[in-house]
Amino acid sequence: MIQVLLDALSTGGLYGLAALGIGLVFGVMRLVNFAHGELIALGAFLLITTRHWGLVPSLVITLVAVAALAVLLEFGVFRRLRGAEPAVLLVASFGVSVLLQKVYEAIFGTLPISGQVASWMSGQWTVAGVNVTRGSVATVALTIVLLAAMKYAVERTSLGLQLQAASSELLTARLLGVRANRIITVAFAAGGLLAAVVAFVLVAQRGQAEPLFGVNITILALVGTVIGGLGNLQGAALGGMLVGSSLSILNAVLGNLRVYSASVLFVMVILVLLFRPDGLLRSRASGERV
Amino acid sequence: MGGVTRFRWVELLGPVLIVVVLAYGLALSSASGRFLAQGTLATLVMVLALQIFIGTTGVLSFGHSAFALIGGFTTGLLTMPTKIKGNVMSDLWAPLQEAHTSPFVSIPIAVLLGALVSGLLGIFLMRLSGLAAGIATFAVLMVADNIFFNSRTIGPGPQVMPQVPHFALFDANVVLAVLALVVAYLVGVSRVGRLLKASREDHLAAQALGANIKRLRMTAFAISGGVAALAGSMYAHHAGAVSARDFYLEFTFTTLAMAVIGGTRSVWGAVVGTLAVTTLGQIMLKLESGVHLGTYVVSVPSGVRGMVIAAALVLILLWRPTGLTRGRELALPGRRADRSRQLAQRT
Repeated sequence: MIQVLLDALSTGGLYGLAALGIGLVFGVMRLVNFAHGELIALGAFLLITTRHWGLVPSLVITLVAVAALAVLLEFGVFRRLRGAEPAVLLVASFGVSVLLQKVYEAIFGTLPISGQVASWMSGQWTVAGVNVTRGSVATVALTIVLLAAMKYAVERTSLGLQLQAASSELLTARLLGVRANRIITVAFAAGGLLAAVVAFVLVAQRGQAEPLFGVNITILALVGTVIGGLGNLQGAALGGMLVGSSLSILNAVLGNLRVYSASVLFVMVILVLLFRPDGLLRSRASGERV
Repeated sequence: MGGVTRFRWVELLGPVLIVVVLAYGLALSSASGRFLAQGTLATLVMVLALQIFIGTTGVLSFGHSAFALIGGFTTGLLTMPTKIKGNVMSDLWAPLQEAHTSPFVSIPIAVLLGALVSGLLGIFLMRLSGLAAGIATFAVLMVADNIFFNSRTIGPGPQVMPQVPHFALFDANVVLAVLALVVAYLVGVSRVGRLLKASREDHLAAQALGANIKRLRMTAFAISGGVAALAGSMYAHHAGAVSARDFYLEFTFTTLAMAVIGGTRSVWGAVVGTLAVTTLGQIMLKLESGVHLGTYVVSVPSGVRGMVIAAALVLILLWRPTGLTRGRELALPGRRADRSRQLAQRT
């Protein structure tokens, strides 16, 4: 029972981080970035291929490389699509996502490559007669730290405040002197860093990476971003957490019907969209920009 | 549908003629050409289904693959030999186990079922637009895949449904594709289509003209759902087998890419997009198996095909967000100038 709750918390936290990464970019440019999953996949590949170099160098390389790829996507593709309809952006990011998957296939092959990263995260602790997996405890701790750090960065630093301002109303923010391209680049880079962290947790859990590594979590996190509330960073994180922990709980509750938990989840998503099209946490400036 | 305006024979017969000539040309050249033509016709019908909805309404849908899946499974279950069905799918719901009919009956059933399901979903989904619609239809695809991939009562679950009979005549594929072309074109020039196009350009203005946009979109969604189911059943009869994952993310991506590359706003765009991407894919396939240039053999590593198609989609979006045809219907050379002059005079 405790383990179920802990799993729900850790899955929720992980999806919250992924959703926050998507939400950062979504906030400033109304782009639902399917390619976020391929940022996570790059992180996973790098962590596994550099695992013998020591944890810290490996992590640093991964964080830098994934953030760099995110910024590259912004410069190469999305900057050139400024002002396009959200639907066009969505299709473009879908295309970038498939393109990167095929590139990974060409480099790493379609089969998973395995390697144990951060082996201290597997294994169990026994606390007061209850077994809990170390990975889920570590994930929950990591999530809390990162979310707190993000909250501090967004609410207390100049860049963070600009990001928040740009998320809620880009045009007004620009009139007040926020440089749009710079802040969008920052959002992509920060999203990339979060993707690298998500990759670390996932790789530590699964011990392998493959080209489609980030697809599932991205689909769910993306949905979390949308139902959490558009243009609202807290909403994105909460939405992701909600989706992740619902999935975890559904998996535990449905028993033999577990395979259908995704259906239940996505029907709930459709219901949320129908009754609260602006998301669970409605923010006033959440309408799509024309 | 009444109120057909702007009907032009060139815009309808041009694409039809080109599709028919290319299909028979390819089919008569070789057995593999025939197979390729069949597959391409099925894909064209799917791209037309996307065009009917996404092109006329401007609302994004990732859910049409789900209707294609329904179409493919329906016709597959109804036409495959009963004995094999019993062996492969022992947990199948009893009435489905016994049902058996010819493609002449199963395809209309598949199309009606696709239209019915999309029509019912449309009642709820058509309240949404923009991003919310994109995500909600994506959720529909996820639910459909999840159910069909896991349930053995209504299909083979994660396995493949084998032994779906091929069409006795190649002509059946051509006839069905032409039918889809005609439907797509007529929807576009009908009152429903014209009002939807008006709402695509300006939602408020179209509403002010008295258009019930939600209902119009439901109509377009149901029609396109039926056409998508037709595409799914053509695909099942073409491949001779069908499985849930045939209509998942890759299928969704490829067909959407074709629609966007050609230009979603015209029937001609659907034809151009399908032909362009298929041709590109075939060229890459040839290159993957090696091409002799004098004494050299040029070949590209396998997997490059998918990369090139994805890159093409992204580049087209960057270079021409409205697609290769820019959303225009086919016009005879030299006629376009006349028409723009007419338009200029009218306004």
